[in-house]
Amino acid sequence: MKDIFLLAYRDIKERKARTSLTLMGIAVGIAAVIALMSVGYGFEQSVTGELVEMADLIFVMPGKANFGNYMELGSFNERDLKDVERIGGVKEAAAMISGMEEVEYRGEKTVMRVIGIDTRDISAIFGEVVKTGDGRDLRDNDHKACLIGHSIANDYFDEEIGVNDRINIGGSKFRVVGVLEKQGGFRSDVDSSIYITERDAKSILGNDEIAQITVRVRDIGEAELIAEEIEERIDENHKLDDFTSAMTMGSAIAQLKTIFTLLQAVLVAIASISLIVASIGIMNTMLMSVMERTHEIGIMKAIGAKNRNVLSLFLLESGMVSVAGGVCGCVLGIIGANVISIGIGAAFGEAIPAILRPEVLLGGIVVAVIVGVMSGLYPARKASKMSPVEAVRYE
Amino acid sequence: MIRTEHLSKVYRMGKIEVPALRDVSLEIEEGEFLAIVGPSGSGKSTLLNMLGCLDKPTSGAVFIGGVNTASLSENELAEIRREKIGFIFQQFNLIHSLTALENVALPMFFAGVNSDARIKRAAELLAKVGLEKRMHHKPSELSGGQQQRVAIARALSNNPAVIIGDEPTGNVDSETGDAIMGILEGLNRNEGRTIIVVTHDTEIAAHAPRVIRMKDGRLLEE
Repeated sequence: MKDIFLLAYRDIKERKARTSLTLMGIAVGIAAVIALMSVGYGFEQSVTGELVEMADLIFVMPGKANFGNYMELGSFNERDLKDVERIGGVKEAAAMISGMEEVEYRGEKTVMRVIGIDTRDISAIFGEVVKTGDGRDLRDNDHKACLIGHSIANDYFDEEIGVNDRINIGGSKFRVVGVLEKQGGFRSDVDSSIYITERDAKSILGNDEIAQITVRVRDIGEAELIAEEIEERIDENHKLDDFTSAMTMGSAIAQLKTIFTLLQAVLVAIASISLIVASIGIMNTMLMSVMERTHEIGIMKAIGAKNRNVLSLFLLESGMVSVAGGVCGCVLGIIGANVISIGIGAAFGEAIPAILRPEVLLGGIVVAVIVGVMSGLYPARKASKMSPVEAVRYE
Repeated sequence: MIRTEHLSKVYRMGKIEVPALRDVSLEIEEGEFLAIVGPSGSGKSTLLNMLGCLDKPTSGAVFIGGVNTASLSENELAEIRREKIGFIFQQFNLIHSLTALENVALPMFFAGVNSDARIKRAAELLAKVGLEKRMHHKPSELSGGQQQRVAIARALSNNPAVIIGDEPTGNVDSETGDAIMGILEGLNRNEGRTIIVVTHDTEIAAHAPRVIRMKDGRLLEE
């Protein structure tokens, strides 16, 4: 067995330039697939990973929400909130009163989203992930105090806002008691929101209409059922159909995963084109090799090689070239995935890690071998079927 | 040992049929040294290909050791070529990417002989044809005569009963040609191997105790 490898290796070595070009062809194909898949996994994880942390959440909104589009149809009231709290399996439910208000800091003015929260609901709204960076959380007895998002503190005004600084919201002076940690991604709205007590919100915003109810469930597995029940209950309260949208993170994750799977399938399909081109390359190289070596094949047959000896020799050659191509492809793919990841990080500020799964790398090599053997099969069969007397006469 | 009965071979060139062998019946005894002579196109190489199981006849039969080769599959023919017949060609037909030693060992590789035994025997055979010092050279580094001696060593590697030479001296000078015929004579005389040589050179043919002549695909006389 060792010897036929050696024989195949000798033949490959005889044609260094052509072999390396063929090898590069397959390596580029495999590298493209691996790099795109790894970046795809990284992208998927950085998006869904965040959502998994929020898997026990249900966002209830008075309107129709559909990825990126939200049409507000009205608002909720205290009765809606009480009803939601009474639904079995609901751990906590927090109402948010919100509105856009003019905010002024050291002479600079801008319009911001101001959210009034019941301070007892902070854990329901922020969960484990949103933490106060500097300062402290809002307290129930706070008066004219606010908690601000990271972007408000750092980006919106020329001068940074820190704890104990005062900002003017809707004409009233508020003291900043805390700055939230930077969130980004799916929670980037938190970064550009100002949180005040429910009491202050009612007086500043001039209404007590609830713009959103955030629900945390006890059992993530029941989230879908609870969400349906919430929609029914509130729709009933308002005597409207399809008024309420209760969106679970679970369904959002499932939807996103479907999108990512599709996206990845498209990317891999595109990358596979280069693999098809590479396999044509191998077939061409092998056919040329068979042609050139017709005489040699004739000699081998004359001195006693059976068809399968010739077949396995040529298959082994294309297999060896493609395994080497697959290995090079893995290395190039790893480099490529990291380059893309760094490139995205530099271009968009949001780092997408390249996730290199061992099964993808292994798959790359397996695909390379399959491509090599499949495209080597026809030339190898052609070689093995040659008539010894004609082949040996061929010059 | 080898017998042909009414052997015919017709080549088809498009729509034209070219008869290369016509009704050749021949018997070759074990241990014989036979030369087949004739002008080019007389069918002597075609006959040799049939005797060496490289090609199948259009009609008639070739018996090797009592077996009719016309009924054998390609793989069975390959086995006969491997075990019973050693070939020597005019163009030497060594494999260029392999060394002399590897060329000699190749038929043993196809026969499934293990690596150590192969190398040992290949080295012995090369020593026998006087090439012990050139074992690791590639064919391109050897003279014509040396290449033909490698080819003889290769023909002997699976210890065949029959050695078939197609113009084995056609590409070397007359002195080297005589040396090569000397080796073949030795193999016949000392080891009892059957030698069948095709040549158009009557001087070379004179080395053989039995000479048959061919013309237009027929045997002329003995």
